[in-house]
Amino acid sequence: MSKKPTVGPALHKVIMVGSGGVGKSALTLQFMYDEFVEDYEPTKADSYRKKVVLDGEEVQIDILDTAGQEDYAAIRDNYFRSGEGFLCVFSITDDESFQATQEFREQILRVKNDESIPFLLVGNKCDLNDKRKVPLSECQLRAQQWAVPYVETSAKTRENVDKVFFDLMREIRSRKTEDSKATSGRAKDRCKKRRLKCTLL
Amino acid sequence: MKEFDDFNFSVYKYTKELTRECVGGSDLQQRKNEIEAYNETTAATLKQTCKNNYMEFIQTAKEISHLESEMYQLSHILIEQRNILAIMTDGKTASRLKADSVEAESSTAVDDVQNSHATRAVKEMVQGFNGNLEGKTFLNEGALIELDANDYRPIQRVFFFLFNDVLIVCKVKHDKRLDFLKEYDPKKIAVINIKDLDGVKNAINIITPDGSKIYQSITAAGKSEWIEKLEEAFRFDQQKKTKKGQAPQPPTRAKQQSSKSSSPEKIISTPSVQSPPEPKSLENETPEWLSTASEEIQTLVAQRHFEDAQDLIKRTQEYVKGENRKKVPQAESIESKVKQQELKLINVLLKELSKSNRNLQIALRAAQRPLKILVEMGRYRQASASLLKVCAVSLRVSQREARRNNADISELFFCDLTQVACDYLTAFEQQPACVSALVVWCNAELQYFASQLIKHYLTKGTTLETVAKCVERVRKPSTKLTEIGLDISYHMEGLLRTTLESLIEDSKERLLDSVGRSEESWQPYNLQTKSHLKRLLLELDVLGIDVRAQATGDTWINLTQSTVVFIRHFLQLIEHCGGLAKCETLLQKLDLLLKELFIAHHSQKPPSDMAVDPNFVMKNKIFLVDNLLPIAIDKFRQISGRQCEILRELHTNMSRQHGAPLPRQRSVYTTDVF
Repeated sequence: MSKKPTVGPALHKVIMVGSGGVGKSALTLQFMYDEFVEDYEPTKADSYRKKVVLDGEEVQIDILDTAGQEDYAAIRDNYFRSGEGFLCVFSITDDESFQATQEFREQILRVKNDESIPFLLVGNKCDLNDKRKVPLSECQLRAQQWAVPYVETSAKTRENVDKVFFDLMREIRSRKTEDSKATSGRAKDRCKKRRLKCTLL
Repeated sequence: MKEFDDFNFSVYKYTKELTRECVGGSDLQQRKNEIEAYNETTAATLKQTCKNNYMEFIQTAKEISHLESEMYQLSHILIEQRNILAIMTDGKTASRLKADSVEAESSTAVDDVQNSHATRAVKEMVQGFNGNLEGKTFLNEGALIELDANDYRPIQRVFFFLFNDVLIVCKVKHDKRLDFLKEYDPKKIAVINIKDLDGVKNAINIITPDGSKIYQSITAAGKSEWIEKLEEAFRFDQQKKTKKGQAPQPPTRAKQQSSKSSSPEKIISTPSVQSPPEPKSLENETPEWLSTASEEIQTLVAQRHFEDAQDLIKRTQEYVKGENRKKVPQAESIESKVKQQELKLINVLLKELSKSNRNLQIALRAAQRPLKILVEMGRYRQASASLLKVCAVSLRVSQREARRNNADISELFFCDLTQVACDYLTAFEQQPACVSALVVWCNAELQYFASQLIKHYLTKGTTLETVAKCVERVRKPSTKLTEIGLDISYHMEGLLRTTLESLIEDSKERLLDSVGRSEESWQPYNLQTKSHLKRLLLELDVLGIDVRAQATGDTWINLTQSTVVFIRHFLQLIEHCGGLAKCETLLQKLDLLLKELFIAHHSQKPPSDMAVDPNFVMKNKIFLVDNLLPIAIDKFRQISGRQCEILRELHTNMSRQHGAPLPRQRSVYTTDVF
């Protein structure tokens, strides 16, 4: 009894990136199943798919939860290529994970070769504000430099979990409609246009 | 008397000197006494020193033996862990008829044999592959199904051979031969574990240089094995032949164990300093073992010889309580000390017991030993509470995991519940009072399970078919629990009742809504071809109704299309409702749903502007009442074992109605059909 979504809803491919232990899987599972998983088990690469209603339209989200551990760095290129949008996660209680986002950002830009790829900088574990190691201003500064939104989340309390996924999907969607409008000749200057729009937002 | 210590001391000289110094016999006598006294004290000191040294030696030897036994314990635990892991891998591979691959991992000799075996297999079986496989390490092989990336439909059957630096993909042809398709470098492909994809089970996504592909394994174990093996190939150069997954686990476990076993030592190190001097003073009156009992117990606990420790506690208490009490002057202090040790032992055991484990089997097995001792010590209440807490954790974890892997959680839950109940009942056989704790716990777990079921499986909008299947899967195993004396079906039904009722109500609205949606031409149904007709008749046969009498010509059925569709739909619905109605509480709602749906369909009228044969319209209705309804009622009773009174009443009412206006029609069909 396999289903046959031949002309199914639009599919948006989201990739979770960030250092090990920052809560990528916890965010994913909270979004998928409304539950917080306490036990830590390093991910290799898991994918999930879910139907959601985005602004009144049914769409499918495909989440690829990647491995944060350094020993998987070599294989990341392969995963990143398939992504349409990225949630770059770090833990606000771990400065190292924040520094690592720079590296992830660079790798994504290199692989996708696109300055304006849908991208959100996500500071997770905001329920542990008393153990904060990365000041809010620093996070916002970095987001500004990259011209991407910055959101703080908590996979434990579910704060902003839906928001980051939906915001990213909206970016991907608007990006896709823009792409389909743009003719092949104008593909080059779309980055600039996009950039402008972003700063406005 | 310092002269004695002199190196050149000579007895002759000394005596000469002495006799010269002394005046008279009495003085000499006194000197002699002095020397004798000195002799005695020296001998005593010597003895004392000797004894001290000896004691120290014994102490050290004891300590060494303790450490030795502790190391032995640790290695024993490690071996046990390794065995469990081996059993787990065994089970995983056995299902794939590849038991030899496990052996291959354990010895390089067998490894080589398998390498050459696999190499030969590839050469012989795979057509069109010319690559060189010499010197490569074989890792895995197996059949998979390639799925379409868009609609997840199977495209073809493929067979993988995985070597350390090449993945060979072959197509399985109809004659079971393999056709070489493609080879990949495992270091250039990325593997994604598909956890949730519209109900597609056991699938992995492999991103290759020429695109991403979805492959499906037949079993969940097969899937995880492929993920593991592909990763092993990916990292082959980094770590050569070290095995994955198994290697990192034991050390952490061992660390836990060692920290565990060292912590009680820390606890006892403080009291052991103060205790020795006291018993020494009463060495004469108290038996040796009794005076050292408290320390001995500490040592035994530290060495994890819990049974021996418990034995000793028991022996001491019996001895002190018995008639020997008068003989032992320090009985009370010993008793209190032993009591203290007993409490410590209980704490250690409880801690041991409440060590949670993700795997229920392992948790239960690990709990057996501390449980047994605690029960013997009479601490069954605390023990049962800790055990149930641990079980609850692993039960919930495994449920969550199963759900994420799309496995059947109902069966898993009831199996786990049974296992816990069985183990619990054997452990607390002698304490009937504890059974109530188990019952309370079962109820709590049941509630959690039901809430999960409602949250994830019985969501609003679920079709009756899915609901019926889901409920069936819950009911079957839950009735089986009565075999071990647990009757929870009633409670389970109660927990699900409101949700099920609202779901039934919900689907009733949906079903009634859909009645009359399709265009009705009020013409006989033409199936176009003979085979279509045949298939339809067979299909309806399976559902329990024979409409052969209505078939006319080669391809016609003398009923409207929507009537035929309704017959099929209604009988399917009867099956689902019958299944649900096995519980009496839902019977009425279901009955009502069926009745209203039937009436809604039955009362459909052709639009006034349409030219139709009124007799044909009537004929359809009569068929519904006279043929479909009795069969439906009978079927419902057979499946659910209950009478659906509302439907029966409807039947009597309706057949009476039809009887009056069209007696002729009716008589025709009664003679034809019955």
